[in-house]
Amino acid sequence: METAMPKTNWMIRAAVVAGLMVLALLPVFMSRGSLSLVNEMLILAIAATGLNLMLGYAGMVSFGPAGIYAVGAYTTALILYDTQVPFALAFVAGPLLAALVSTLVGWFCVRLTHVYFSLLTLAFSQIIHTIIFEWYGFTKGDDGIVEIPIPALLEPIVNYYYFSLIILCVCLGLMWMIVNSPFGKTLQALRENPGRTEFIGIHVRRYQLSAFILSGFFLGVAGSLYCGFNKNVFPDYADMMKSTEMLVVCLLGGIYSFLGPTVGSIVYMFLDKIITRFTEFWPLALGLVIIGLLIFLRGGVVGFLSDRIAAARHKEREAPSDVSS
Amino acid sequence: MNLQGFVIQLLSGVSTGMVIFLIAVGLSLIFGTLKVLNLAHGALYMLGAYCCYWVSSSLSHLPGSFWLSLIFAPLMVALFGGIVEFFLLRRMYNREFLEQFLLTFALILIIADLCKLAWGVDYQTIDTPWPLEGAAIWGSLIFPWYNLFLILCGPLFYVGLWMLLNRTRLGRVIRAVTYNREMANALGVNVPLVYTAVFMLGCWLAGMGGALVAPMSAVMPGMDAVVLIDCFIIVVIGGLGSLSGAFLGSLIFGLVTAFGIMVVPRLAIAFGFILMMVILIIRPWGLMGKPE
Repeated sequence: METAMPKTNWMIRAAVVAGLMVLALLPVFMSRGSLSLVNEMLILAIAATGLNLMLGYAGMVSFGPAGIYAVGAYTTALILYDTQVPFALAFVAGPLLAALVSTLVGWFCVRLTHVYFSLLTLAFSQIIHTIIFEWYGFTKGDDGIVEIPIPALLEPIVNYYYFSLIILCVCLGLMWMIVNSPFGKTLQALRENPGRTEFIGIHVRRYQLSAFILSGFFLGVAGSLYCGFNKNVFPDYADMMKSTEMLVVCLLGGIYSFLGPTVGSIVYMFLDKIITRFTEFWPLALGLVIIGLLIFLRGGVVGFLSDRIAAARHKEREAPSDVSS
Repeated sequence: MNLQGFVIQLLSGVSTGMVIFLIAVGLSLIFGTLKVLNLAHGALYMLGAYCCYWVSSSLSHLPGSFWLSLIFAPLMVALFGGIVEFFLLRRMYNREFLEQFLLTFALILIIADLCKLAWGVDYQTIDTPWPLEGAAIWGSLIFPWYNLFLILCGPLFYVGLWMLLNRTRLGRVIRAVTYNREMANALGVNVPLVYTAVFMLGCWLAGMGGALVAPMSAVMPGMDAVVLIDCFIIVVIGGLGSLSGAFLGSLIFGLVTAFGIMVVPRLAIAFGFILMMVILIIRPWGLMGKPE
């Protein structure tokens, strides 16, 4: 086991470096349309990994991540649209406000557990959706905010792509540090057994609230980034379908591994692209994929692969002992 | 607001509440016994409405085609639910909450697309059935007969379900399984069968709700989403798993939406959510539920 671990780490590291190199070189040989698809994938990966801090690491099933995501998107959109504030500030304001709203929402939500927690997060995200939808004077309601001005430097898709890639790397790096810190380990302990974690002197709610806020911050980053990418924002960013999409992405990749949601967003985008080419019934196909996943591929793509790797290694080690006996 | 307007609003609030009671009570029963929050409940309601349209339009040469479809449509939905429970949901009982959630979400996508495949994207309508056409006129009050019929349906189904749960053998078994599944199993109750029965009952109720709604609103894709969230609000207000809670919650919800729309029309949708949040924060087990 001791010798096996570094080998896996080495393989994963190599895969990550290779993946990054491919991502960095993509603009050279990819059409603008495909590149914008990959860009969308990067943003989805940030949102899903952010959600997974709360979902996979702390075991808190939120039904309303899209509400917080939309707070980030609308904050950046409104600042850019209504004021002359520079892009950098507007971009930072999104995640900060998202974290602030998460603090408020989370303060109530962490008092509940299980399905009640989920339903309260859903109620809050629906409230956010209603505010965006109905407060026409402020958010332009149903019409959305269109043609949001962004700096000329980020205007070409290639530049925005690199910008997104950098933000993705920074965010994933930060989150990697978070989940491997004592704080992250505590969250996992909490997921496994909240009662016992409390016995060893951990303030459960405070940790859950922190996870909620951090999650909200990264959802806000994704929202702001998407606002600049799409240059339009609409109320359906906050709706339940968007929330569920994020949950599906996390599950598709695997919620118990750090890169699961990232892999999930790649798989999701590919599925979307391939299936919509053949049929207009994308929801039907997605539904069947989810069911197949739940029945045949527990633990998501990453979980499945790591099980396979573990099994192969197990065999490898078994084989020589068979010979000797 | 004059008295006449008040009465009309009261009646329409109660009639909305009573239809949605059927759907919400199914959701609540399923959660209470199976411990699964069935997100596909709204989709099953939509399926009921489509089945009602389908049966009543293909039997339109017969008198009372709507009443026949009111019998057949909910049964079709129940049958569909039985198949889903047997082949899919049954594998999920020992899984995590998130996995159950995603399974029922996948069902929404599948049911919605199957409805589109079968009946297209245009909206369909059903005529108000004989003998409930027109409106009751009482002085200056005018109110559709059909909605009065719906108001009558709510308490009827409530009493029926109460009798089923409290006065029959099946009801006793369901309550035993809800209370302690291992113990019921040890005493020789066929728990998986009870689960299938309860899920089918919930689906039947959702289908019934859909069939009853069909004559008063258009049957179309997307009608499921709003209902699902309304049901969440109701079962949270009343208490997840509680029959009387679902009834009370539906009444409150119907009235709050009906009168809310008169006071602040733009925030009418928000009232339900605010109510749900307040209940979750101060009394998560709902008005009629018991704390865990």
